Amino acid sequence: MSMKWVMRAKEKGAKVIHVDPRYTRTSKISDKYVQIRPGTDIAFLNAIVQYILENDLYDKTFIISHTNAMYKTNKNFEFNEGVFSGYSDEERKYNTDFWAYELDAEGKPVKADSLDDPQTVFSGLKDFYKRYTMEVSSGITGIPVETIKEVADMVVNNRPGTIMYALGMTQHTVGVQNIRAFGVLQLLLGNIGRPGTGINALRGEPNVQGSTDFALLFNYLPGYLSYPNHNKPKLENWTASYGSFRAKFLIHLLKAWFGDEATAENDFCYGLLPKKNANENYSIYRIFETAMEKKMKFLYIMGQNPMVSSPNLSVVHEGLSGLDTLVVADLFMTETASFWEKPGCDPSTIDTEVFFLPAASFLEKEGSLSNSSRMVQWRYTGIDPVGEAKSDLDMIDLLFNKIRDLYKDSSEAKDEIIKKLSWNYPTEKKAEAVLREINGYNLKTGELLNGIGEIQADGSTAGGNWLYAGVYAGNENLSKRKDNKTDPSGLGLFPGFAWSWPGNMRVLYNRASCDVNGVPYDDEKKLIWWDEQTKKWMGYDVPDVPVATDGPDTPNGQKPFRMNGEGVGRLIANSYSDPDYVNQTARDASSVPADGPLPEFYEPVESPTSNVLHPKVQINPCLKYPRIESKQPIGTKEEFPYVLCTSSISEHWCAGTVTRNVPWLNELVKETYIEIPEKLATKLNVKNGEKVKVRSARGEIEVKTMVTHRLQTLNINNEEVTVVWMPYNWGFKGLSTAASTNLLTIDAGDPNTWIQETKACLVDVQKV
Amino acid sequence: MATMTEIAMLHDVSKCTACRGCMVACKQWKNLPADMTPFEGNYQSHEDLSPSTYNLIKMKETYENGNFRWDFLKFQCMHCGIPACAKACPEEALVKQANGVVSFIEDRCVGCGYCETNCTFDVPRIDAVRKKSTKCNLCEDRIANGMVPSCAQTCTADAILFGTREEMTEIAKARVQVLKEQYPNAQLYGVDKNDGIGGTNMMYILTDRPSVFGLPENPKVSTSLTIWKDYAQPAGKFLFGAAAMVVAGALVNNAMIGKKNKGGHDHEQNQ
Repeated sequence: MSMKWVMRAKEKGAKVIHVDPRYTRTSKISDKYVQIRPGTDIAFLNAIVQYILENDLYDKTFIISHTNAMYKTNKNFEFNEGVFSGYSDEERKYNTDFWAYELDAEGKPVKADSLDDPQTVFSGLKDFYKRYTMEVSSGITGIPVETIKEVADMVVNNRPGTIMYALGMTQHTVGVQNIRAFGVLQLLLGNIGRPGTGINALRGEPNVQGSTDFALLFNYLPGYLSYPNHNKPKLENWTASYGSFRAKFLIHLLKAWFGDEATAENDFCYGLLPKKNANENYSIYRIFETAMEKKMKFLYIMGQNPMVSSPNLSVVHEGLSGLDTLVVADLFMTETASFWEKPGCDPSTIDTEVFFLPAASFLEKEGSLSNSSRMVQWRYTGIDPVGEAKSDLDMIDLLFNKIRDLYKDSSEAKDEIIKKLSWNYPTEKKAEAVLREINGYNLKTGELLNGIGEIQADGSTAGGNWLYAGVYAGNENLSKRKDNKTDPSGLGLFPGFAWSWPGNMRVLYNRASCDVNGVPYDDEKKLIWWDEQTKKWMGYDVPDVPVATDGPDTPNGQKPFRMNGEGVGRLIANSYSDPDYVNQTARDASSVPADGPLPEFYEPVESPTSNVLHPKVQINPCLKYPRIESKQPIGTKEEFPYVLCTSSISEHWCAGTVTRNVPWLNELVKETYIEIPEKLATKLNVKNGEKVKVRSARGEIEVKTMVTHRLQTLNINNEEVTVVWMPYNWGFKGLSTAASTNLLTIDAGDPNTWIQETKACLVDVQKV
Repeated sequence: MATMTEIAMLHDVSKCTACRGCMVACKQWKNLPADMTPFEGNYQSHEDLSPSTYNLIKMKETYENGNFRWDFLKFQCMHCGIPACAKACPEEALVKQANGVVSFIEDRCVGCGYCETNCTFDVPRIDAVRKKSTKCNLCEDRIANGMVPSCAQTCTADAILFGTREEMTEIAKARVQVLKEQYPNAQLYGVDKNDGIGGTNMMYILTDRPSVFGLPENPKVSTSLTIWKDYAQPAGKFLFGAAAMVVAGALVNNAMIGKKNKGGHDHEQNQ
């Protein structure tokens, strides 16, 4: 669907650049296609940044006004031989306090008089990037020097410009830094906060934004509030780390969860939340490893099919086999629910008891869906669930009520949380009741909240997610709105269509679309502005400012990135947190990448070449892999000479649980295959459509070939490197079955997010 | 839209992303089964149209002098101005409607296969089990109810457009002018009613010569067909009676069947 809007932009004259290891259907409609070696995006993007810095092509006004370019860095800040200051070799970890500004007596950052001051962030940036010449970048990425230059000129000369990305950027051991590289580029070009700019994640599932907003990630509570660790036993410890601004929202959340039981005296029941071990990783990879180690007994899986979609599937299988009990709720019998039926597996050796719960499809239930634009849209029930199928909401409601019954007589402390939880949903219009709770109430008046500003820190408001306060403003479910006609901006904002968080804001950081005086940079395409007559920020969009009446002559009027303590965009990331947060709104400590304040290029864990920038630091220095040596072997380029990139395809979606049960999709793409360049086909003496064996350090499978010119061999550091590609959507269940590509892929994960490096590992390919 | 206004569908190959949502939408509306052909080492799902596939996105990879190109074409019934199928059909099962649609009236079809053999574009397919011809009817049931054909409805890339022939012609002409900058050979296909088949109601905006996309450069209806339909058949029915009709028919039939045996259709020769 997103392609529709890309095509519309193209029709209006936008230039489309597509960067991908292979020529795809997206490349076909692009103005410029760039073939890149998987896992080298930072080397490519940094060369563009270097070109911009070297030739003064950045937006000087923008970076001085809206970024930390002029801020002075701490004198200890440096980058040497592949690592930044603050690195501990033993722990493979940074102390991010080293990435700090020089502070004045009041603890505020010191700003230089000029960009050229040697201590500025901007000078540090120039110093860091100068290694990324076009030639070095070309050697690493395989992209010809002239192509990199052509792309650099295109992005510079076609402003405003936007970046759209998906898992191609995140499924790497440098996934977060890949996106940081986008951030630096877009800040330098002034491409943030203005219409037609930004960095847009095209989320992989229709409601993945909603899922992450509601704590799908193991290290968050709803609304991206940090999950409490063992070293934060009390609310005050949590507040000291994450700030009073967020503590308010945590109290608001605890009131929704524990109702009258949550009081100021008992820390609003904070103590009842199970604490995470701060030194442990609770990602999906550790789930299966822990199960394999027999430390986990029970697993409940909904909306996911990890026996197809997770990397290094042998570990997943062994993990599932180590469980006492597995519950899977899905539309169809999945590979995960029937892992014991995997070809070659002897079910008599498996003791896991498996329950399968039939789930309702999206057509059979109502509820909200949050898209990539943070837009919350209501979906209605089309037909009632077929057979015994139930919605996830109904299943969880039934389960919890039953569980609470079972624990009602318990006097054990660990069961308090179950007994004290506030849980009472109606049988009719249940989803809307949940949305109302998410929106939040004023507990004194009983009224629904109208926005984030009404949330209180004293326990007098309660709501399920502070970001969603206002979705039910005025007692109306605003996610149901359908006004697709009214758009005074002419920019496609349509403020009366559905509702987006926060506060129906359509363009985040829109303060950056105006200059220091609050005047829009582009009068033709304005989002917001400072109105001198009414002394207010006004706009077609909701102004992204801390206080609507704090004008450009106040500190709050110069904070386009108000979630950062210093209020500006960070070219070099910084651990700064505003010491005055107690008395300020919308200012607090914000997160810093764990693996570096700037995006540095590191090779993938399995790589066909050595890191030319710093041979001693080949991979991300914060990466800890293998976690279990016997299960996570690392292949060498001698044994596994080809780079494998994997992804989904337009016809099949993720693990294929739904799509592989649709014959009309199965006839379009029928099975797992491997795309190989003509040159490799000639070398292996295989013809198009013939079978090959693909082998990695972790597994091997047989698939048919697709021999194509859409993939070309690359010249990497003066050696020929071959990239091959496979879709990962298949497994042994459903109407269309085929070998699972993820038997081959590597489960090394980004140190921030733990997303696996399924975009780049090494394989061997042989004719069968 | 009044049904009598002439309508047209337009496929803009420069916008098509070959997502093939149109193929799924077609099968869904027509309730056609999947056609599980084996994997052949390319993205094109089926080699050709079939009795259960009326709409096929053709995908062709070309590599010349280090330059790669990938061409997509929505292939289906062209709804010709002068439809050879309707001329060849002895049962009036194929009828050119005033709105431009070449309708297929299944009850009349005896599965003789003349339409399949004689189509300028090699489109109709005989369902051997049901002994009926099959092809796209431009969702004429939807059109009659003021809806657009299901493929056009589902196209996210705005590559399949549907409207009055006049509107579509206007859009197509303007688009080709824009495309000529990037594609010097960009051209319209099926728009000109003075071509050998009286134009088509399935029209194209092409980025290159028709033969690149597997379409005949100069489509036309064979003379033998014209003799059959416009002279022999009506004359036979009214003047000679049934027996003579069979003889006249047999003569022309030989010519029609012979066409395929002689080496196929125009577009195959052009490929």
